[in-house]
Amino acid sequence: MTRGTRPYYVPVGTEELVFKAAFRQGLSVLLKGPTGCGKTRFVEAMAYELGRPLITVACHDDLTTADLVGRFLLKASETVWVDGPLTRAVREGAICYLDEVVEARQDTTVVLHPLADHRRQLPIDRLGVTLDAAPGFCLVVSYNPGYQSVLKDMKDSTRQRMVAIELDFPPPEVEEKIVVHEAGIDHDTAARLVRLAQAVRRLETAALREVASTRVLVAAARLTVDGLSLRDAARAAVAGPLTDDPMVTAGLFEMIDAYLDESK
Amino acid sequence: MIGSRHPARSDELGRFKLIASAIAGRLVEVAPVEPGERPWTDGVTVFATVDASPRDQLRCVAVQAALLAAGSLDPEILRAVARRPALVRRYLAVEGHRALAGQEALLPTAVRSLIDRAVAARTESPAASLAIAMGREALADPPEIFGTIHPRHVRARVEPVEERAVRQHVPRRQGTDLLCEPDGGEDDDSVVPDFVSSSIGGGGLIGRLLKTVLGDARSTLGGQPGADAPTRWSPRAARVARTVALTTANASRPDHIAVVEQRGTTYPEWDAYRRRYRHDWCTVVEVEPKLEDVGPFVAPAPHALRRPLARLGMELERRRRQLQGDDIDIDAAVEARVESLAGSPPDEATYIESQRRRRDLAVLLLLDISGSSGKPSATGATVHAHQRAAAAALTAALHDLGDRVALYGFRSQGRSAVHVVPVKRFRDSLDSHVMRRLGALVPGTYTRLGAAIRHGGLVLDRDAGTSRRLLVVLSDGFAYDHGYEGPYAEADARRALAEVRRRGTGCVCLSIAADTDVQTLRRVFGTAAHATIPRAEQLAGVVGPLFRSALRSAQLQRRAWQRKARTHERLEIERKTG
Repeated sequence: MTRGTRPYYVPVGTEELVFKAAFRQGLSVLLKGPTGCGKTRFVEAMAYELGRPLITVACHDDLTTADLVGRFLLKASETVWVDGPLTRAVREGAICYLDEVVEARQDTTVVLHPLADHRRQLPIDRLGVTLDAAPGFCLVVSYNPGYQSVLKDMKDSTRQRMVAIELDFPPPEVEEKIVVHEAGIDHDTAARLVRLAQAVRRLETAALREVASTRVLVAAARLTVDGLSLRDAARAAVAGPLTDDPMVTAGLFEMIDAYLDESK
Repeated sequence: MIGSRHPARSDELGRFKLIASAIAGRLVEVAPVEPGERPWTDGVTVFATVDASPRDQLRCVAVQAALLAAGSLDPEILRAVARRPALVRRYLAVEGHRALAGQEALLPTAVRSLIDRAVAARTESPAASLAIAMGREALADPPEIFGTIHPRHVRARVEPVEERAVRQHVPRRQGTDLLCEPDGGEDDDSVVPDFVSSSIGGGGLIGRLLKTVLGDARSTLGGQPGADAPTRWSPRAARVARTVALTTANASRPDHIAVVEQRGTTYPEWDAYRRRYRHDWCTVVEVEPKLEDVGPFVAPAPHALRRPLARLGMELERRRRQLQGDDIDIDAAVEARVESLAGSPPDEATYIESQRRRRDLAVLLLLDISGSSGKPSATGATVHAHQRAAAAALTAALHDLGDRVALYGFRSQGRSAVHVVPVKRFRDSLDSHVMRRLGALVPGTYTRLGAAIRHGGLVLDRDAGTSRRLLVVLSDGFAYDHGYEGPYAEADARRALAEVRRRGTGCVCLSIAADTDVQTLRRVFGTAAHATIPRAEQLAGVVGPLFRSALRSAQLQRRAWQRKARTHERLEIERKTG
């Protein structure tokens, strides 16, 4: 395992403590939080600190159990078993991160049950074996409770096997720090961007479905590092991704001008 | 500042809508103020100066939005300053700074420079600002940019309950869309919904009596002048009012109800208190809408909805063990290989096919046309208008995509008169008649949600003719009828949805522009997929995942039900799910 630098993550509350405690106790972790608030980065930082490899699976609605656990492949008229990412993590004692787990089909997530509770086992019926999770294995799933009821897709029986950590967008001062660090821009510009984001976030449910995340702020800031004006960068990185509606776009442009224009 | 200076004037300020909403913390419109007037807000719209530099336009919009966010236009305050222009000025000179300072973290730099921190520091609430304003000390006039407050014009939201269905009703006082003068009613009473003067107890003596008792300060329903809290729609207050309406129900039931023929389909209703069904309790009658001299409803273009809905119909397209396809079905291939090695002829079907399947989807839309949907929403237009636009767009989009679609309106007046209005049956073609019928729908009377849902489910089972079926309820989730309210109504609606879903029909509940809180919706719609969106235009963003999740869970239900149905008695099943 290569030890690079620790992925940049600024703790806001007790999330690091909870995560590490859960890891040491062999409990599974459920991360909740809006898009782009730093869930993935948090897991990366934790994996680094705990010295475990991280295996990430982006879940989608066609994800089958075989995609997670593994399957037989044909190789020169012989079948070869190939471990899926989950099986690999169980064998190696890695942190297995299932991103946006609600996207996966419900019958798929059932395979997580024996892994997520005290048994810490992965039954592979096609091989006829049951693997005990190696020490250091930790199951982490995340989802975005944005859609109002679609989130209920996550079965209670799955949820209750997990320790939940709720993440949200960081408070302004922390977010400023993050934008400064990630993009390498000055504090004042970062503060302007963050204020814009704060205002945009007030529009959630009223006019926008998703709001400006920390990720888009960093993207905007990085565009300015490459020479774009702050305004153009925000238009491209903040307003554009949020909406296709011309009226809303015009309103967002107006907000960008109001919050970011240096001349005011 | 960028942007042309003189485009179409009234539209020009529309750009500020989002920023105003962000600062105010709720959806507000921005419109130009009358020439010569100062900027002000009625709680729904911010009226701003057009003839100013863009920077000043922004500032005056921001000030008014901050006043809304800070609760500066609280009804109590407004009553105190009504008809006292000098006091309004003094109040604004103090409160304006407080409001801005309170929202400072959200304000653009250009606006923050307006704050006089010395003044802002002196007060910490609208009441404190008012106290200072009422004092004797000299106060500087507020900056021009602060505009003014028109206490009598701060709107509670308009409450034009449609009463065409009712022959006689208490004449309305003029200007009930404005906050009325205080007449002793306390805040909670002022949000009493308009049941007293609506169909029940309308012109009757008791109705008038109650009207007096409850005070005239009605139709401030869900109003939002200033602060959020005091005038918010409160379930408690609403319940009081509903109970009142209930007790007068028999006393003054309007005659025309009796005219309704007592035929139709009867449905059971779930009695949550006794934990059993009341059999044949509700009678659902399909009534043709009266086509008065209304033009056809102009449906919004359904283009935006097509994409999410089109993908929806094509979902289960991966078929395993096909003779041809673009992916190898590994499991089938392995088996075939094993079979051939074992000496038996292998099954050649070893591919996964991703072919687009014939569309197999029927959708029935149930549109709530009860009186509560006649309420105006935060954006001004009534909830009904939003819901109707959504229903029209969904109907048109699904029809265009080749799905079977039907649209029914529903309302009720007691358990024997649950009216379901067919706007478009499955067999009807989508033509101007449908749009005329849709245009003729007028909100009125009440919502027996459960019976309407059961009827919708039955129509789907009977007429849909497809294996994948979806029931979409467009409602504010405000279940209320005679003897049908609160937990009882919520439990019955939930139950009805569960019944429909158990038969393999997906259920989706959509609230558009309604201000029903999430908790209530959750209680009414239970685990059915539901979403609340502020405007019909935003439908495209939610229908995809919502419909998909509903269909998916329906499919699971369908399988489970088929299994159960084979082994258990029907009653047994009904006892189990609850």
